[in-house]
Amino acid sequence: MNGNSLDPRVNRLPKIGVPGQVAAKAPLDQFGTFEVFVQPKEGKPFQHEGAVHAPNIEMAYVLAKETFTRRFVCSSLYVADTRNVYVSPMTENTTNAYDLIAEIPQQSGEKVTFEIYHLLRRGKQHIHAGTVSAVGPQEAMLAAKAQLRGDKAIYNVWAIRTSDIRFTSPEDKDLWVTLPEKKFRDASDYKGGDKLKEFLERAK
Amino acid sequence: MNELALKEFLYKVADDQLILGHRNSEWTGFGPLLEEDIAFSSMAQDKVGQSQALYEILHALGEQNPDTVAFMRNANQFHNCILAELPNGEYDFSLIRHFLYDTALAIRFEMLSTSAFKPLAELATKIRGELKYHTLHANTWVKQLGSATPESIQRLQKSLEYALPFALGIFEKSPYEDEIIKSGIFAGEEVLKSQWLRKVEEIIAQTKLQLPDTSSMNPVEGGRVGKHSEHLQPLLDEMSEVFKIDPTAEW
Repeated sequence: MNGNSLDPRVNRLPKIGVPGQVAAKAPLDQFGTFEVFVQPKEGKPFQHEGAVHAPNIEMAYVLAKETFTRRFVCSSLYVADTRNVYVSPMTENTTNAYDLIAEIPQQSGEKVTFEIYHLLRRGKQHIHAGTVSAVGPQEAMLAAKAQLRGDKAIYNVWAIRTSDIRFTSPEDKDLWVTLPEKKFRDASDYKGGDKLKEFLERAK
Repeated sequence: MNELALKEFLYKVADDQLILGHRNSEWTGFGPLLEEDIAFSSMAQDKVGQSQALYEILHALGEQNPDTVAFMRNANQFHNCILAELPNGEYDFSLIRHFLYDTALAIRFEMLSTSAFKPLAELATKIRGELKYHTLHANTWVKQLGSATPESIQRLQKSLEYALPFALGIFEKSPYEDEIIKSGIFAGEEVLKSQWLRKVEEIIAQTKLQLPDTSSMNPVEGGRVGKHSEHLQPLLDEMSEVFKIDPTAEW
């Protein structure tokens, strides 16, 4: 039966084996992940929304657009390979993540820019906090500690090299022009509750 | 402005969008990966939305309301090209059709942004971003699978060769072609076709695919004058099944 169904879920069922075999588990046939950041409105900071699977960063950008911005509003979007996202230790209560980053001696090499993200509430998204220059990611976080820390508790910090990000160019911001009109993608637009109430009233 | 010519033009573009939008929506829940399932379904929805906008323009010109026009006509009253109504087949075919068709559609609306018929020019400007994403999506996939593995290249190649004669049917001339051009509504199928071919060549050149010589091909025509394949009527029956249970129902 396997392999003949029109339903791909059936074709994914494991093949029936023969007795006596012990073998190493086959690796998952799966793409790597890319982190997706969305700017809901012009002037607002970018925030982390989730991840997509894709074979490369350009495919990730294309797939992220509909996966994360097919509803509500969006003014811009970008993606970065998960392997290029550097993370600080996670903290809780009043401990600031910046206080857990070990100081390192000044590094030699060319400075590049890093985008820095803060987790201000546990369970929420990382939000873009600013841009710093550094040789490597740890130095970038130390630079951010001096420049971007502020007064609030920060539970986690991310750093991504600006050059590792696939941005939306300014002329492509029209990708989302018609998005606010697509209310039909929003469950509330169907007013299901009102219709049910009306039906029940009529049935009385 | 010749109203018959204008209506014929609007119907063919609207019908293309409705029929291919419905076909592409048949992939919902069956896409090759979750993210692509969502993207392809979203674009199918965009197509149906764009067809509705065109049916609204037709309604303002005195035609019946969009729902009636979409759900109550028979196959021989539809003006879509045959490419749009072909069954989905495997994903490679759906992707190649999406690439060939949306490349033409994006250029068509780019041309329409200067149309003498204002409602079309306004619609073209409004949906530019949507169409930009559709072609970005198609081009990225074709470049990816057109260079990835021997299997993906061979599958796309086969689908490309199968789909091209149907794609040439997109440019089947209307009986009012000269009037459409003269009145400044649209610069014509011939102009569209040559720009389309240049764009298709440009993308295919970035892959390991071979573009067959289209000049020696016989286009599959007839769709624009209501002569369809056996695949359209079953699609219409399914698409209108719920509507026809109670055409007066409010949704």
